[in-house]
Amino acid sequence: MGEEKGFDVFKRMATYDKRWIYVLLFILVLAPLLSPIGMPISVSDWTKDYYDKVNALKEGDIVLDSWDMEYSGYMELKPGVLASHRMFIEKGVKLCITLNHPEGLAIPAEVFGPLKSVMDQYDYTYGDDYIILGYVLPNEAAVASMATDFHGAVSVDWNGESIAGTFLDNIKDGGDFVMVASYTTGIVSGAIIRHFGQTFGIPIVRNAIGVMISAQTAYLDAGVIDALLGSTRGGAELEYLIHAPGPGLKSMDAFTLGHYMLIIFIIIGNIGHLGWKKRAEYRESTGIR
Amino acid sequence: MSWFFRNRSVNLIVLVVSFLLVFLPYFFNVPGLYWFSGKLMTIAAVTTAFAIVVAVYSQYRRSFRIINARRKGWPFHVYLLLLMLVTLFFGLAFGTNCVGYRWLLMAVVTPLSSVIYGILAFYMASAGARAFRARSLNAVLLLVAGFIVLFYQAPLTGAVFPAIIPVATYLNNTFAMAVSRVFAISVCVGATVLGVRMLTGRELSFLGFVEEE
Repeated sequence: MGEEKGFDVFKRMATYDKRWIYVLLFILVLAPLLSPIGMPISVSDWTKDYYDKVNALKEGDIVLDSWDMEYSGYMELKPGVLASHRMFIEKGVKLCITLNHPEGLAIPAEVFGPLKSVMDQYDYTYGDDYIILGYVLPNEAAVASMATDFHGAVSVDWNGESIAGTFLDNIKDGGDFVMVASYTTGIVSGAIIRHFGQTFGIPIVRNAIGVMISAQTAYLDAGVIDALLGSTRGGAELEYLIHAPGPGLKSMDAFTLGHYMLIIFIIIGNIGHLGWKKRAEYRESTGIR
Repeated sequence: MSWFFRNRSVNLIVLVVSFLLVFLPYFFNVPGLYWFSGKLMTIAAVTTAFAIVVAVYSQYRRSFRIINARRKGWPFHVYLLLLMLVTLFFGLAFGTNCVGYRWLLMAVVTPLSSVIYGILAFYMASAGARAFRARSLNAVLLLVAGFIVLFYQAPLTGAVFPAIIPVATYLNNTFAMAVSRVFAISVCVGATVLGVRMLTGRELSFLGFVEEE
């Protein structure tokens, strides 16, 4: 665009310093987290379906609980993971938990710590009701191996204790699970579908991070996965449905304000861009600087 | 004996046989084959785990080079090697449930991992805000669709302005899903083609055989 003299408001709007975005985003995320506003949210049909699928589980059903996330990804999925596990505990569902990333070893304490009061209330204990297998599903070969011959692939839990004599004796292969609950950032999410969903027809419910949603939507639409909880927002909606406010609902004010801020910056940028372009064209045609 | 393992045909035969052992049980119920296929996959999973040894070795070699040459950021490599060494020590000597290993995980890995993920929000917001410019008709269409979806994604919008939900859902269920499917199908077709090329010996670079010019 042509040379111009003096202060040009449109140019300023089109080329604003990105640090303004950083500062405002920081303030808009932090402020509602410190002092929640409590804005209303809508609950999507996806979350209602997810709730219905998990709610239909019966006491004693064994679910493969695939924690397919590193610690950073857990930060995004935390509301959905906590709300879902609250439901599992309240319904007496037995969980076979796999950690699919080395950082996953830090997550169990983060999940079962906040849910301790619920676990005590429902007498939900390690060994009888849930078992953590540890870092056992790092890649597709491991998923295929577990789905084909469960006890051939895994014989001890993450403490090195034998899993013989536990509820996992009832599992011979992937077809013996009632459901797969997958909390995923995409490490073996495809392999879970191929070796549990496609091979045995096991229903899969999934909580995926935001960038995976568009790809997972196609799977959901085709019936490859049975229910999808979208990122933190889906988790917040689930918290709302089960009447257990947690980190998700707490973060929704920040989500709303962050999105609106982004929209405002896009509008400012576009007004600036168009105005600057028009002025540049005017200057070119008239020769006036 | 090394000529045997370096032989192109021998490698190709092992590849084809392994493929058939895993592939056929999906279509034919041959007694014993399903069990053997499972064992083979377990062996593959365990063998893959050994790759971590190679990864640790490679990282040490690379970091030592950078430290020796005092290249930019070399102190970070000292920090990296030190933490790797301490983590390896605790993990191998006392197991992953010992206090030292857990402390490293909770005090070093998890905060750093969370921070890196959190910082992405700033970059994505900045990139999104500055990239969405109505420079052409295509960009205008993208801008309008992006606006609707962004508004819908804000949790408050659906609650106070429900009319936006079907519009955003339409955009997601048609344009976005069509593109997702194209991408997924392209990946599958590409993987199939690559598999066929590997099985027919036309693509063996993954086994260490470099194509002759």
